Amino acid sequence: MKKITLIAVLLFTSIGYSQASQDSTKIYKKRVLETAEVDIISSLYTQDGDNAAVTGGIGTEKLTDLATSITISIPLNDDDVFTLDGTISAYSSASSSNTNPFGGDDDDDEGNYSANGISFGSPWIESSGASKSDVWVNGDIGYSHSSDDRNSVAGANISFAKEYDYTSFGLGGSFAKLFNEKNTEISAKATIYIDSWQPIYPVELKTYIEKNQNLNAGFFNGINIYNQNGIAIDKNGATVWSPLKSSLIDTKSRNTYSFSLGFSQILSKRAQFSVFLDFVQQNGWLANPMQRVCFSDRANYYIGNPTSIPNYTSSSNKDVFQLADDIERMPQTRFKVPVGLRFNYYINELVNVRTYYRYYYDDWGVTSHTASIELPVKISDRLTLYPTYRYYIQTAADYFAPYEQLFSTDEFYTSDYDLSKFDSNQFGFGISYTDIFTKGKIWKLGLKNVDLKYSSYKRNTGLSAGIISAGFKFVMD
Amino acid sequence: MIKKLSLLVLIGSLTSCVAVKEYEKVYLNDPDMILASKNAHKFETSFQVYREGSAGANGGKSGGGCGCN
Repeated sequence: MKKITLIAVLLFTSIGYSQASQDSTKIYKKRVLETAEVDIISSLYTQDGDNAAVTGGIGTEKLTDLATSITISIPLNDDDVFTLDGTISAYSSASSSNTNPFGGDDDDDEGNYSANGISFGSPWIESSGASKSDVWVNGDIGYSHSSDDRNSVAGANISFAKEYDYTSFGLGGSFAKLFNEKNTEISAKATIYIDSWQPIYPVELKTYIEKNQNLNAGFFNGINIYNQNGIAIDKNGATVWSPLKSSLIDTKSRNTYSFSLGFSQILSKRAQFSVFLDFVQQNGWLANPMQRVCFSDRANYYIGNPTSIPNYTSSSNKDVFQLADDIERMPQTRFKVPVGLRFNYYINELVNVRTYYRYYYDDWGVTSHTASIELPVKISDRLTLYPTYRYYIQTAADYFAPYEQLFSTDEFYTSDYDLSKFDSNQFGFGISYTDIFTKGKIWKLGLKNVDLKYSSYKRNTGLSAGIISAGFKFVMD
Repeated sequence: MIKKLSLLVLIGSLTSCVAVKEYEKVYLNDPDMILASKNAHKFETSFQVYREGSAGANGGKSGGGCGCN
């Protein structure tokens, strides 16, 4: 009996000890995310330049974009985090408005004309066309799970994005493994985007095809077309304006498959670096259907005020518009390989240095180098100032040429200056305020961090831009 | 380029023989030492993706989701 009692006591003691061990494990396992967090980010972006792609590489690039995103991260338990992200970006663009430079909506033959039938369109002014503004909305749902020892993290996400002429569905998965006392991390991530165009075309090309090449119908009805000498052509004659091709886009799909590898390493108590390597394959209609091209080996034709034709490429031209030869056309595949390297060094309690370098290659002929540096300076335990500088240089895509320098004999062509050879300089200055005790409250949310930054961006092609960003991080009490 | 990066990774791996302990990571855990761009710069990265021929290798998106890249 004593033996049985002893065994029972030992058994219960052992079970109790085991339970206590499990409980103590639960008690001391640090939560991946202690409490729910809310990140709100807003930005105002403006740009201007003289090489709008919608008007064939010449014309105003004036654009304003106001964007806001809200990200909510919710700990489901000690190990799992659920993330919801919503973004809305509203822009107004002079160049996009010139999909229909004569006003009205983009799908029909409405327009703004003077009493004598002269249209007001020009690549240098904003049209009242429907595509002058648009809203891009994006939603993303993510989930991540960390192992008990916090050395493995698996995640998945789905996303949806919509704008007037584009729809996107995304699906992604990721895995990260930490080892060597969390000094080393390797990660892999795969993402698929199944996207589609609801294409918007330059109004003259769309009308020409829809009206069966009749220059007296629809948009062209009652409108004179002028040649380079400013003489109205006989629209029923043998020599008339016509687009290069009788069809526009072949496919509306545009899919992206990306695979990313990451490696990060702590080098010392003050230094760490990471390397990212992406492989990206894109298939489908990779050109933008609303972007015009004008060939050097085809005659030019205009609508508007013929006396302004000699002045066409000047920003003082407000009332004549050149009819496009075609939309831009690009290969239906693109393979990209960017490699990025970050290196951060903690100099002292006052200053850190954050650096980034990227080399990029794609099979369209674009290669680029990006280098940036950020110097956070702590002026108090809560306030950090950080000046930034970024330099970027790229080669032109094989298919790029400026306005009126493309050839109609080529298979692919674009006058989009985002694919031209250029370099850019970006200077920025930011202020970050952090209160780890979250004394500032809004409802049940404590304000943990505020980040404000302004950056000025200048490209040697003439485009200049500025962006002001504000980020707020709240934690739930 | 690939050789240089491989060398860098190798050097990084070798230095990992002496691991920094958790309690020694006070400097590395500084918010400014995080190996990623700051959250508040999300839209700055977006406009760069729009305005430049390159994208990716920053831990974020490298294509898709919009007609811009």
